[in-house]
Amino acid sequence: MRNKVSLYFFDRFKQNEAQIHELRYLFWECTQRCNLNCLHCGSDCVSDSSYKDMPFSDFLSAILPLKNVYKPDSINVIITGGEPLLRKDIGACGMALRENGFRWGIVTNGYAYNETIHKKLLASGMGSVTVSLDGLEENHNWLRGNNNSFSKAVRALELISSSNRLNYDVVTCVNNRNIYQLNELKEFLIRKNIKAWRLFTIAPIGRAQHNGDMVLGTEQLNFLMDFIAKSREEKNIDVKFSCEAYVGAYEKKVRPDYFFCRAGIHIASVLIDGSISACPNINRNYTQGNIYKDDFLKIWNQKFQIMRERSWTKKGICNSCKDYKHCNGGAMHLWDEKQENILYCIHHQITKA
Amino acid sequence: MKRKILRKIFGTLSFTGMLFVFQACYGAPQDMYRDIYIEGVVKSNKTSLPLSGIKVSVSNNQTSILTDEDGKFKIYTLPAPELLLKFEDIDEAQNGMFQSKDTLVKPNNKAVFITIGMDAK
Repeated sequence: MRNKVSLYFFDRFKQNEAQIHELRYLFWECTQRCNLNCLHCGSDCVSDSSYKDMPFSDFLSAILPLKNVYKPDSINVIITGGEPLLRKDIGACGMALRENGFRWGIVTNGYAYNETIHKKLLASGMGSVTVSLDGLEENHNWLRGNNNSFSKAVRALELISSSNRLNYDVVTCVNNRNIYQLNELKEFLIRKNIKAWRLFTIAPIGRAQHNGDMVLGTEQLNFLMDFIAKSREEKNIDVKFSCEAYVGAYEKKVRPDYFFCRAGIHIASVLIDGSISACPNINRNYTQGNIYKDDFLKIWNQKFQIMRERSWTKKGICNSCKDYKHCNGGAMHLWDEKQENILYCIHHQITKA
Repeated sequence: MKRKILRKIFGTLSFTGMLFVFQACYGAPQDMYRDIYIEGVVKSNKTSLPLSGIKVSVSNNQTSILTDEDGKFKIYTLPAPELLLKFEDIDEAQNGMFQSKDTLVKPNNKAVFITIGMDAK
């Protein structure tokens, strides 16, 4: 009974937040260059991108007007890529963000993260980090396409976990090769004193759409949900499923809170070409403007309607889904420009069992 | 205003603990703001000229940074009732040679501003 009441009011909360749409989380895709060649990459990054890195001054001047409306320390700028650490100026960018009141963090594969960079980023006011670790050594290196990527990611994690300053987590892309190794990976992370671990599945977008073997089937998805739910009960490490999908009966068992895709509601991004969107993994046809032509704040305030009013998603398999009122068409990154059907629904897959 | 009131009502009745502590699917966690800011300038006690290339480190974590050409430094570090700042001349004779110096700082808010004088060896 309590769950039904709380879910009802959380649904109302989500509707209300879509109306208020306060920006709280801002991605900056500062580069598309990358030092790895991952099989599952959602952004199709390359070692030598045709896009030049975005000058920091372009990004900063686009977001400074936010200070007229928001307390800047209520906004987390998440620097992503590509691999952000390929830029030499990340520390200076971060320091300038802090000087303007914003908080900041990075998403990294950890390959270039060493003690010198660690100290520099901490001194520049970095507050959060996510490091990817996609299995134990063999599987991680396979997915990342580099035989040294595991050892370098672990070195990064050792540095990051040694700092009381940082709010961090390890993120693991669960696939058919590592799914039955998750328990070993969990024990490994606990031995490394890692406090938080987030698991996500491979959606059939970006490079992954050409690697269908990596998309989990019904049995594996249920195994994954049960693994996370059990691990959360054990409380040895803060394990959770990412916010990528509604998971029906597993809601609140695999995450501390209910599913809520906040793209365009609390989350925006400035992409490598200046495009203004929500999460960087959302289909780029949903771009809402461009910082080189438009006022970022004006775009945030006046556009993004397709993400704030999602009744258009009630089609395809969502049309007959009895959980639609809780899910609202799932995560935005699972819709392509045709808007005909969700590309992939974990809830649908799970309930096939 | 009405929406903000509704936010509180719906948030409370949903029994959801951290309504705004979230992270995007492929994003990092939110910064919990556990740091303070220290800014300062390092000068020669003898000439009062700024000293560049002085290593400034904070004893309570792994943070360190070098002073710039104006002798200035800016650094974020973990908050503590007392912070021991270390100043070391690591570029040998490039700008003269100076004795290392330790200074104890007692921060009483989120930002500290200091001036440090160093003696020649």
